[in-house]
Amino acid sequence: MQRNLITVFCLVFILLCPVAGVFAQTDEASVKKAKEILRLLDDLWRGTSSHSILAMTVKTAHYTREMQMEGWSKGKDKTLVRILAPLKDKGSATLKSGSDIYSYLPKTDRTIRLTSGMMMGSWMGSHFTNDDLVKESRMDQDYDPSISFEGKRDGQDVIEFTLIPRPAAAVVWGKIVAVILAKDYMPVKYTYYDEDMKVARTMTFSRYELLAGRTRPKVMRVVPADKPDEYTELIYDKLELNVDLDDNFFSLSNLKRM
Amino acid sequence: MKILSIASRNVFRNWRRTLVTTLAMGFAGFIMILFASLMQGLMQGSEKNVVSMDLGDIQIHAKDYREDPDIYKLIKDPDRILSELKKAGFHATKRLYGFGLAAAGSTSAGVQVRGIDLSNESTVTQINRHLSKGIWLQTDDPRGVVLGRKLARTLGVDIGQEVIFVGQATDGSMANDIFRVTGILKSVGEEVDRTGMFMTSQSFRDLFILPEGAHEIAVMRPDRTTDLAAATKIVADLAPGCETLNWRQLKPVIARILDLADSQMIILVTITYTAVAMLVLNAMLMTVFERIRELGIMKALGVTPWQLMMLIYAETLVQVVAASTLAVITGCALSRYLEYHGIDLSSLAEGASFGGVAFDPIWKAHLMAKAVEVPIVFLFIMSLLAVLYPAVKAALIQPVKAIHHR
Repeated sequence: MQRNLITVFCLVFILLCPVAGVFAQTDEASVKKAKEILRLLDDLWRGTSSHSILAMTVKTAHYTREMQMEGWSKGKDKTLVRILAPLKDKGSATLKSGSDIYSYLPKTDRTIRLTSGMMMGSWMGSHFTNDDLVKESRMDQDYDPSISFEGKRDGQDVIEFTLIPRPAAAVVWGKIVAVILAKDYMPVKYTYYDEDMKVARTMTFSRYELLAGRTRPKVMRVVPADKPDEYTELIYDKLELNVDLDDNFFSLSNLKRM
Repeated sequence: MKILSIASRNVFRNWRRTLVTTLAMGFAGFIMILFASLMQGLMQGSEKNVVSMDLGDIQIHAKDYREDPDIYKLIKDPDRILSELKKAGFHATKRLYGFGLAAAGSTSAGVQVRGIDLSNESTVTQINRHLSKGIWLQTDDPRGVVLGRKLARTLGVDIGQEVIFVGQATDGSMANDIFRVTGILKSVGEEVDRTGMFMTSQSFRDLFILPEGAHEIAVMRPDRTTDLAAATKIVADLAPGCETLNWRQLKPVIARILDLADSQMIILVTITYTAVAMLVLNAMLMTVFERIRELGIMKALGVTPWQLMMLIYAETLVQVVAASTLAVITGCALSRYLEYHGIDLSSLAEGASFGGVAFDPIWKAHLMAKAVEVPIVFLFIMSLLAVLYPAVKAALIQPVKAIHHR
């Protein structure tokens, strides 16, 4: 959940970056077009704040889990996610504030701060890592974008961006390829490459439906490249943007209170 | 016999020089005996830390487990293997491994959780007695955990304090619980010291929702002097479909370091004794030149070159024997003392390790026959080689020239 929120942010940023970058080097018309894409994509997921209810399905070789969660975000630095179901994990909550991640464990009634050693660990048994939460929101600063394809693919007009990390950027991916629909700039698929330029995971979007006042992809699915039979799927059941949230809402005391 | 009595008389003629030479040889021998005992102690301590505290002689894992320690890669029927190993006379124990995060207060650290089969573990390793503080795990205390020493320091916890564990259970849910530190280990090895969190296997199974199977079976030979490779083969046959390796294969670097200890010793002995040999050579050459007229007269009186050579050798031998006696007495005495008391390095080498094996901060010697034999035998060989030149020189003296020598 936090994962998905973050992921969403990231995606947006990713998209934004390429658009902005491309834009700077091209003529005025394409600049205008890129700007428009950028704005639309920005509008797609980001508000000043958000409140959402999501379902997450994790399928691995050993188990399939379904979870319900509720998430809040403000800006790109503050995210709070609470597990609603299953019962066993109900009340577990994760808070991301700046670059810190805290976890509240109702079973032990303790809050712990995740350290760097835990960052590559799986978040809630999904195919997202804790690191995804912290790192991805900075992609806008860390990648150089370019348009690598524009035209028909699988019967759809798409635009493909290629994002290359900047030399000094501390990122885990070697490259990200993002495909969006040309007609309404909806995200279709993101492919993440590792440092050896091998595909590490793919993220696909589907069910473009009305959500928080406009069409957005409701479903996001992540498939790790080394385990093609496994996936983590996030479904937005509810999304509200620009809700009124105080900064104190994203505090350790509130993490526990929930 | 006559040569020997003449030789011992000659030795005392310049007693100061004899004393210096003998003391130098004796001191070198003493240092070498001490060094050998200390090295032996270090090596035995390291092997003990590797084998008796952690690995055991032989380990069984599911195939590929070691490359990728995945909690699902289990040895399917550990109890059958265990009972067959016991029937074959081996000591064996099951272990479980899981990974996650341990937190205490505001600090946290990645940990490797080890589920210990309490009744069997103590037949294989002595880790239950290797605690610096507190007590070992107890069957009636499911929340008790024992931590590696660096981990305890990182988390800032002491005996009786709580540690929270968070990880992922086998069903994908969050494995989390509160534990209480009952003991903190002494140094075992880098991995255990930094990340080791030990709990009873039942607590592990409840925490990770892992009702059966095992990740590792550690095996110890009943008699550690038997052939390790042969024992490995027997164990491998009892665990078909699994990967069976002995500690030398598991930790080849350490096995290699331990093997090299002997040759290291020989090299050091050679270097030290070369210096001593120079000293002996110098001293004996001096005695020969000093007594060149005397030797010339002896030869004129019918002493054969061979007898003259034997005389010089006998003189050296008397000194070497005296030096060796001195070296053995002092070297053994101090080594024996250090066997019990050790050198306390805890202030300067705390937590030091090589190749992932921890040093015991109290460095104890271990006096073995080898630690005495090698230095003494080498002392004889080197001295007698050194004296070859003076002895030959004496043997080849021409009486007439020698008598007129000034």
